[in-house]
Amino acid sequence: MSEITLDGLAKRYGEELAVEDVSVTIDDGELLCLLGPSGSGKSTTLRMLAGLETPTDGEIRIDDEDVTDRPAYERTTATVFQDWALFPHKSVLENVAFGLKMQGVGKEERRERAREMLERVRMTDHADDDPMNLSGGQKQRVALARSLAVNPDVLLLDEPLSNLDKRLSEDMQIELREIHAELEETFVHVTHDQDEAFTLADRIGIMADGNLVQVGEPNEVYQNPKNRFIEGFLGDTNFVEGVVDRTSPDAVRVETELGREVVVPTSNPDALDAGDAVSLSLRPEALSIESADAGLEADEAGQPVRTDGSTTNSVVGTVESVLYRGSTVRYSVAVEGTSVFAERTVSDSGEFETGDEIRISWDGADVLAFRDDGSRVDL
Amino acid sequence: MHRETVENVAFRAGYLAILTFMLLPLAVVVATSFEASGQLLFPPENYSLVHYRTFFEETTWLSAFDNSLLVGTGTTVVATTLGVTAAFGHELDDGRTGQLLAPLVLVPLLIPPIILGISMRVYFVRAGLNASFLSIILAHTLWATPLVYFVMRSVFSRFDWQLLDAAKDLGAGPIQSFAYAVLPNVKHGIFVGALLAFIVSLQEFVMALFLSSHSTETIPVVAWTALRQSLDPMVSVVSTFLILISIVAIVAATVATNLEWLSKQLS
Repeated sequence: MSEITLDGLAKRYGEELAVEDVSVTIDDGELLCLLGPSGSGKSTTLRMLAGLETPTDGEIRIDDEDVTDRPAYERTTATVFQDWALFPHKSVLENVAFGLKMQGVGKEERRERAREMLERVRMTDHADDDPMNLSGGQKQRVALARSLAVNPDVLLLDEPLSNLDKRLSEDMQIELREIHAELEETFVHVTHDQDEAFTLADRIGIMADGNLVQVGEPNEVYQNPKNRFIEGFLGDTNFVEGVVDRTSPDAVRVETELGREVVVPTSNPDALDAGDAVSLSLRPEALSIESADAGLEADEAGQPVRTDGSTTNSVVGTVESVLYRGSTVRYSVAVEGTSVFAERTVSDSGEFETGDEIRISWDGADVLAFRDDGSRVDL
Repeated sequence: MHRETVENVAFRAGYLAILTFMLLPLAVVVATSFEASGQLLFPPENYSLVHYRTFFEETTWLSAFDNSLLVGTGTTVVATTLGVTAAFGHELDDGRTGQLLAPLVLVPLLIPPIILGISMRVYFVRAGLNASFLSIILAHTLWATPLVYFVMRSVFSRFDWQLLDAAKDLGAGPIQSFAYAVLPNVKHGIFVGALLAFIVSLQEFVMALFLSSHSTETIPVVAWTALRQSLDPMVSVVSTFLILISIVAIVAATVATNLEWLSKQLS
């Protein structure tokens, strides 16, 4: 049982604020991903958890025991480092057995247990190798085995996959999930890679500027980002700036830089007032594209509100560039001087070329709105 | 030939000439030690090992050798311990104290040894350590520690500090993590630092002159006394031995630092 509580955790290096305020409870057996851009304080938070940094402020409790001032070597945490930090002068087996040696486990037993760990990560064949001669993926496995060998209550992973190529990293993500399911230990995984976080995490904690901005299940975080930063960070999206023109009981009408009004349905018309500046997020998966002359007749009077309450908005623009990204094609479309991108899968019928006039349409209910200060509008 | 090749050859030839010119006095010293007569002649008129035989018969010289080795070993141990731990501590805590450390450590090297020698003599007489081996060892340590410290600073700057974190994270306490994660990776640097300390102590003359008594005289001090009486080939014999010790030490260092590399090449 290892429930971790971080309470008002802060770390300052002189004048520089690395972590401002991190408070979260990590459940026993949970895999929490700390996700954030570089410099957001996620690694520092992890290092404080490991005991490798002393917090300037706040408290860390593992199973209700205050471990804030306990040094790393007296904590039941084990870390997999970004560059794996394997001891260069020891063999792979000695590396894995090191933690057990420090615990005072006898030579025969620790060698045997280290071998079992190497088996788990399928590295038995390399037991006597010099770790410096291993590939990145192999080093990663050895580092994982070394940390697991001490049977930690909490496994901390500091971007261990960021130095691997994409394919290998994806394989390791699946393997990590399997190991996590098997061990039922608490894992805290730090990453800057959204896909990695979504694949691995039971819950994602998003960090920005030293603060834990939002914690939630991957799905929830993606569907309900708390602010504009998270919406922009979690995936590519189109932000369209505008000003609220007028609100009605069931819809907000926003005059946008797309040159026309965008209608967003709402059940909370008081959330915005006329004249408020807003950014609207049009996610590429919510946008559908078709040839400009097909489909809806452009309704110059305004966007139609359908009878079922959903709203269809559409704009017409010119294809600026076409980008093939493997299974999808991304179109960058010029609309009234701004640029909007939309995607379709390669298998979708119809292809557009640079210069084509196309119509982009979306359901108003899929649009997220953010205020000037970045906070989300509860529509 | 290419212009670049010509320039390369010219540069190397020039370099070699300067090196030879600088090392030539050593050859002269070694050569004069083989002169049969009692005079310092170059080139020697008659070759003989007579002065070498005298050297091994003279207790003054032999005990000076013992003294030098004792002082050198003592200095090496103390200076290496202080220099390594200071550099290590500085790397761990680069705060305000750390920033003051580097210039402070450098101070003894900037003070003329004659001043150091006189003031330390006064100091050690007061402290009751006058004319002991310990006083010479401490004086030499004052000089050797900065050298070890700066060698280790550069060694530690290339050390992967994540290894220390990893060791601590796996349950190694402060001493264990240093012994298991740091030491094996910087041992070559420590060896080089220790060697420097030893050689500095072996050659140092001025402070040793002020601080030694008849029973603690080191080689340079005895050589100075002998030179003042007469300029004979015995001084050359002693110098030859000093040169030999330095060469042996450097070869040992080279072998030690490259041993792993060598064994990898052979396997």
